[in-house]
Amino acid sequence: MAQDTRASAPPPKAKTPFSWRQPLALIGALSETRYWAYLLLLPSLLLVSAVIIYPVLSGINLSFNQFNLLRIAQGMNFIGLQHYIELFEDPDFQIILKNTATWVIFGALSQFTLGLIAALALHRKNLKGGAIARVLMLLPWVIPSVVAGHMWALLLDSRLGVINDILVRLGVLSAYRAWFADPATAMPAVLLVDLWRGFPFFTLLLYAGLSSVPEELYEAAEVDGANPLQKFRAITIPMITPVVVAAIILRVISLMNSPDLMIVLTNGGPGLATYTLSLYAFQIAYDNFNFGAAAAVSVIMLVILMVFTVIYLRVSGVTKD
Amino acid sequence: MRRILTSHKAIQRLYDAVAYVIIAGLLVFVLGPLMWMGLTSLKREQDVVTADLQYIPLHPTLENYVTLWNRSGVTTMFRNSAVTTGLTVSLCLLAGTFAAYSISRYRFRGRGGLLTFYLLVRMFPVVLMLLPLYIMLRSIGLIDSLFGLALTYTTFLLPTSLLMLKGFFDAVPPDLEDAARIDGSTRIGALFRVVLPLARSGIAATGVLIAVSAWNEFLFALMLTTSESSRTWPVVLQLMVGEFQLPWGLLAAGGMISILPIIVFFSFAQRALVRGLLVGAVKG
Repeated sequence: MAQDTRASAPPPKAKTPFSWRQPLALIGALSETRYWAYLLLLPSLLLVSAVIIYPVLSGINLSFNQFNLLRIAQGMNFIGLQHYIELFEDPDFQIILKNTATWVIFGALSQFTLGLIAALALHRKNLKGGAIARVLMLLPWVIPSVVAGHMWALLLDSRLGVINDILVRLGVLSAYRAWFADPATAMPAVLLVDLWRGFPFFTLLLYAGLSSVPEELYEAAEVDGANPLQKFRAITIPMITPVVVAAIILRVISLMNSPDLMIVLTNGGPGLATYTLSLYAFQIAYDNFNFGAAAAVSVIMLVILMVFTVIYLRVSGVTKD
Repeated sequence: MRRILTSHKAIQRLYDAVAYVIIAGLLVFVLGPLMWMGLTSLKREQDVVTADLQYIPLHPTLENYVTLWNRSGVTTMFRNSAVTTGLTVSLCLLAGTFAAYSISRYRFRGRGGLLTFYLLVRMFPVVLMLLPLYIMLRSIGLIDSLFGLALTYTTFLLPTSLLMLKGFFDAVPPDLEDAARIDGSTRIGALFRVVLPLARSGIAATGVLIAVSAWNEFLFALMLTTSESSRTWPVVLQLMVGEFQLPWGLLAAGGMISILPIIVFFSFAQRALVRGLLVGAVKG
């Protein structure tokens, strides 16, 4: 395929003097200089810096200040670490931290596990309907979280939910259950919804990872008499580790940072049962307009993510690039 | 020898059977909820809110879709989402292509730091920069504007697109470019005539992923738009809940409408997407 393109590459341009030819030639000449690598980086770097740098620095600064939109007359008052101290002295915050750990760890692990199983099954050769199954499997990941949230709210509804109906008919439950209103089942229920939404992401990346393992490695191992389990441990796992690490980091970031599902499904309740850091920060900012405290919670989230990423990259040993 | 071969075949067939069972089970898990949403969207409201559950709608109707479509501004919001998504994809691919090519082909000082910086950008919590971003966008007149929203999305999606595109460009052999340059092409000429055509399925895959993320984004859209004229689709769906007492039928219809473009898009881009991801996601 590569050679085709080279053969059909357009012939050298005829020398017709267009008016815009001058600047174009200039760019061409510029692309031969040693500044070219930097010039190419410039647009994206400018864009990202313009939109991100000021808000982030300003947000971090905000976390050391008393600032409430409802009491805007009082303006910004520097209070140092007071927001942080108040947070860590608040017993509720301990619970929220624990919830966040449950949410991120169980979320990432369950989604990774199911995603890996799906990817391994889909990766078997000559399966009929494999191509269609791969696309259908991606659907939950591409629909808006708001839609997914409401859909599952109806499925698990305490009066109208079809899942309750099925479970009662099967004799698993004796009566309908209010999954999102019961402190014991609220978190598992939201985790189930996110499992539905999140596992296809892992399937997609892990499937791509599995497909990139050279077939010869498996053939060589077979000649040496390796059984499937040995092949999996000696070839598959090391070969897909970089993809696994990248996928887990990306997923942990979005589990940590997006309160979408909680906003739609539980609003943190019942009690504090499904309160996570991202929802907490969102509500302090959006409902109470206490932007200083919200910024402090966000900074804590950012620090946790950075520490996790650094440690995870170290431990997994894929820090080459 | 023959016995070993047949038993080997039997084992393979057993694995295939296991794979089929797993895939079938997962498809029920994946599609069941979506099918229920489809069925609900065809029910009258009183048939949803009833004690005895109707698995098949007894009075199937398109009423919900008609009501939704006739509500003021629904078409505007759909258009808003489309415009924002289109702008975001264009900006991301344009800026992302140049940067990814540079990172893929050149070794320069600060290259590793740059990649770390982009990974870091992904980690910033939305709420942290919400107020400053709001103030900043308002001071340059980009609050409550689709362009402001697209600019914000671009910033957050650029790191992802950059990493994916870098993987695709890595997969294009540099020899081909060298050949083009020996034939008198400049570097940028070689980029447009050799690298981009070869990486087009990867670029398409990246575009689809950006489009899906931008189409679905909810938090920024909720915060950075204030008037009906610039609300996007997911925000409207969420705000509908506050307006009525959980209108299940309408919500389901809205859900079906919002995933329709994605399904159509996906069935077209499917081949490019899967092929592109095979090359890209791994090396990214």
